[in-house]
Amino acid sequence: MKKQFKISLLVFVTVIFFVIFYYSLKANNKNNPNIMLNKPLPAIELTSLINTNLKQELPLINRDKYYLINIWSSWCVPCREEHPILMKLKDKIKIYGINYKDKKTNATAFLNKLGNPFYFTGSDKDGSVSIEIGAYGIPETYVVNSQGLIIFKHVGPLNKKIYLRISEIIK
Amino acid sequence: MPVQLAMASTEREINIYKNIRCLVCQGQSLNDSNSDFAVDLKRVIKKKIINKESDKEIYKYLTERYGDWILFNPPLKINTLLLWALPFLFVLMGGFLIYQKYLFLDKKHQN
Repeated sequence: MKKQFKISLLVFVTVIFFVIFYYSLKANNKNNPNIMLNKPLPAIELTSLINTNLKQELPLINRDKYYLINIWSSWCVPCREEHPILMKLKDKIKIYGINYKDKKTNATAFLNKLGNPFYFTGSDKDGSVSIEIGAYGIPETYVVNSQGLIIFKHVGPLNKKIYLRISEIIK
Repeated sequence: MPVQLAMASTEREINIYKNIRCLVCQGQSLNDSNSDFAVDLKRVIKKKIINKESDKEIYKYLTERYGDWILFNPPLKINTLLLWALPFLFVLMGGFLIYQKYLFLDKKHQN
């Protein structure tokens, strides 16, 4: 009887650990974009890509109900993929672009060719602005509310599903 | 003055880089990576060291933005308690089992 109990306990503990490890392995450990969710956007100053005398400080408090921040670059292929979605979003929400480690000529040629969805584009020549706001890579998109809180974050190119989700949030 | 990454890294910087996970290349430390974001992050850390920030402040800055995930050496917290306690629990359990077995054998021997 005692032996049976011991064996059952051993089997039970083994199964519990197996289940925990199985689900831990399956969990997305790649990165956790939710860390910055519902937290204030760290203060950043963007220097205009076009005119270096123009600056834009973020977050903007009590200005717009929502605004969007998008990290992009002309050399980034997924940024090209998501560009039509940004063009669709620009009529719904102000978009602040962070141009990551790009050449001014390439970035402006990209915008001239595909259209400029950005209300303001700041240059992030050394990538420090992107790190400041907790970016994992490019492209990356944030929705910030009037209180300066990041209410949505997406790592990777925007797609139709994310477009609908953002549209729903800012409705 | 812009911080040049070409400047030789100090031992302190390297120790921090070794404890930071590369953002894009999984499983690699910042020290082993030369990806764009790793280079940027190294520059940010170097700048903070030059600005005389402590290791604790630098780790705080990074975990605020990327979570404990970014550290190779996760801090002892409620949700990491199992991770830290499990090896000790296993040793204790093993010790207990050996002790019990020893008592059993000892009793058998006495009988």
